[in-house]
Amino acid sequence: MKSEAFIECRQLTRTYRRGDVEITPLRDLDLSIDRGAFLALMGPSGSGKTTLLNLLGGIDRPTSGSLHIDGEPVHALNRSRLAAWRARTIGYIFQLYNLVPVLTAYENVELPLLLHALPRRERHRRVAEALELVSLSDRHDHYPRQLSGGQEQRVAIARAIVTEPPLLLADEPTGDLDRASADGVMKLLARLNTDHGKTIVMVTHDRQIAARAGQTLMLEKGQFIEVEAVP
Amino acid sequence: MRSLRLFARLVPFVLRQLTRRPMRSLLTGAGVALATLLFVAVRAIDAGVSNATEATAKDTRLIVYRANRFCPFTSQLPQHYVDRMRRIDGVVSTIPIRIVVNSCRASLDVVTFRGVPDAEFERFVLPGLRLQSGSLDEWLRRSDAAMVGTALATRRDLRVGDRFNAAGVDAYVAGIIDSDEAQNRNVAFVHLSFLQEATRVASSDSGTGGFVTQFTVTVRDPEALTRVAEAIDAEFARDPAPTSTRAEKAFVARAAADIVEVSRFAQWFGIGALFAVFALVANAIALGMHDRVRDIAILQTLGFQPRVVTGLVIMEGVLLGVTGGAIGALGAWAVLRAFQFNLTTEGVGVEFPASLSVALFGWCIAAAIGGCASLLPAIRAGQREIVSSFRAV
Repeated sequence: MKSEAFIECRQLTRTYRRGDVEITPLRDLDLSIDRGAFLALMGPSGSGKTTLLNLLGGIDRPTSGSLHIDGEPVHALNRSRLAAWRARTIGYIFQLYNLVPVLTAYENVELPLLLHALPRRERHRRVAEALELVSLSDRHDHYPRQLSGGQEQRVAIARAIVTEPPLLLADEPTGDLDRASADGVMKLLARLNTDHGKTIVMVTHDRQIAARAGQTLMLEKGQFIEVEAVP
Repeated sequence: MRSLRLFARLVPFVLRQLTRRPMRSLLTGAGVALATLLFVAVRAIDAGVSNATEATAKDTRLIVYRANRFCPFTSQLPQHYVDRMRRIDGVVSTIPIRIVVNSCRASLDVVTFRGVPDAEFERFVLPGLRLQSGSLDEWLRRSDAAMVGTALATRRDLRVGDRFNAAGVDAYVAGIIDSDEAQNRNVAFVHLSFLQEATRVASSDSGTGGFVTQFTVTVRDPEALTRVAEAIDAEFARDPAPTSTRAEKAFVARAAADIVEVSRFAQWFGIGALFAVFALVANAIALGMHDRVRDIAILQTLGFQPRVVTGLVIMEGVLLGVTGGAIGALGAWAVLRAFQFNLTTEGVGVEFPASLSVALFGWCIAAAIGGCASLLPAIRAGQREIVSSFRAV
């Protein structure tokens, strides 16, 4: 029996216009990613890594081609449906954490849950569980400015997983962290992949970090040039 | 319903965003409060003028004044006219009234004495009054007694048993009265004979006893108002003191014409106040959106739909309007209630009522304008492209 890929890109192209100049960071890209994979995207600046991640996350839209994630035709969804789909399917982890500064760690993690019709008690349970998972149970009431970079990133990870999305997208999640904090974040992502079955696609410049993923795809000028699988 | 519940869950988030720049929110709220206060005050002036010129004046009442005289100081009619007026066909009752004011110009602190014969007071005036304190017996027993309207009593801090002096008349407070008619709330009813005597002594002229300022004539049929007015003026046309008779509404409207002009002028301040609310909220929201391009992109990434983002921004505007508007509307209501402002001109009083409905209207308008002012930045926020927002910061 043939199993369908979790992520399926066909002839995926993204073109921007900047003034009179047309830029195509991704051109006719074909890609299949299985459910439960942990994939690292590498490549030089401007190779299209972040553009691909944005397309996978539904925060950008392809100029042409198709993108199916978990059977959903993401390329064909309108803005509202795409937003609703993101809320259900995607957990996004940014390089610079992107926490809301006026909210505490608890409130930042709770934020995506407010979109779901959950009782307050259930929201509390899920937020507490997510913060427990990232070992920040004692930082509920801390504001982002009161946390270290590593702790902020762990809050961001808790926010990304609190809605239990099947796909985590991480844009250089360790890019702004020291080695020890980066190591902690990578262990956490690996655990989410192996223990919680999350499919993870991560952009990184760091080979050592990429080596922690199960598979590395090298991008250059919007095309795959190399696939490395970790044994 | 689901949307309502969603936005209810997001209220604390919106409040937190408003505290992000506390000084900006505070100043915006204060500006909205001040503008709402001004708007409610202007509406109160408008309501007072409408009340004085339309609502309380009766369709069956005529005011007989001395011809070509426009102030209680100069309108003097012989009291004995009353008998001839009562004989005119269609007249139900005639009350001779002597009016003494301490100022004929438009002023916020005018004391108006209305001297009315005892029998007419009991028969025609008293049924429209509600005695708050004191007694009618005391008023009937003492020649210098006054029944003081609630607005005048509050403004002058008068209580039963007090004495007060205005326009050279020294009176004793026998009772405090309330009435549905604004005119009655701002006057002191005294005995006609006492007022005639008091003003004769007070004035340096040869005396005014036996003269009254006006007659209030009630007619049987509102349709006959003009006919009766013409009949009265014709009756006294060849007398030394000819009369000018008008419907009470027309009389009040003419006397209050200056105040009506002031009220119309004040309307522009009210409209200006609404624009101020709009500009303040729009400015605060636009600046807030400029500060929070990244936060909006984060919300969108987390799955907040465009309509939800738009709704959140509108909620911010509405909350600014609601908070500032509530403070302003309540402030205006409290000030109007505490000071019982009453503008009197030519003996006609216009009360600026401390009305909760006017305050509520001002509050709702402030909230609605807050929402409208945030509409454009809200729509823009909801439609922003996520990737370009992240690039912009």
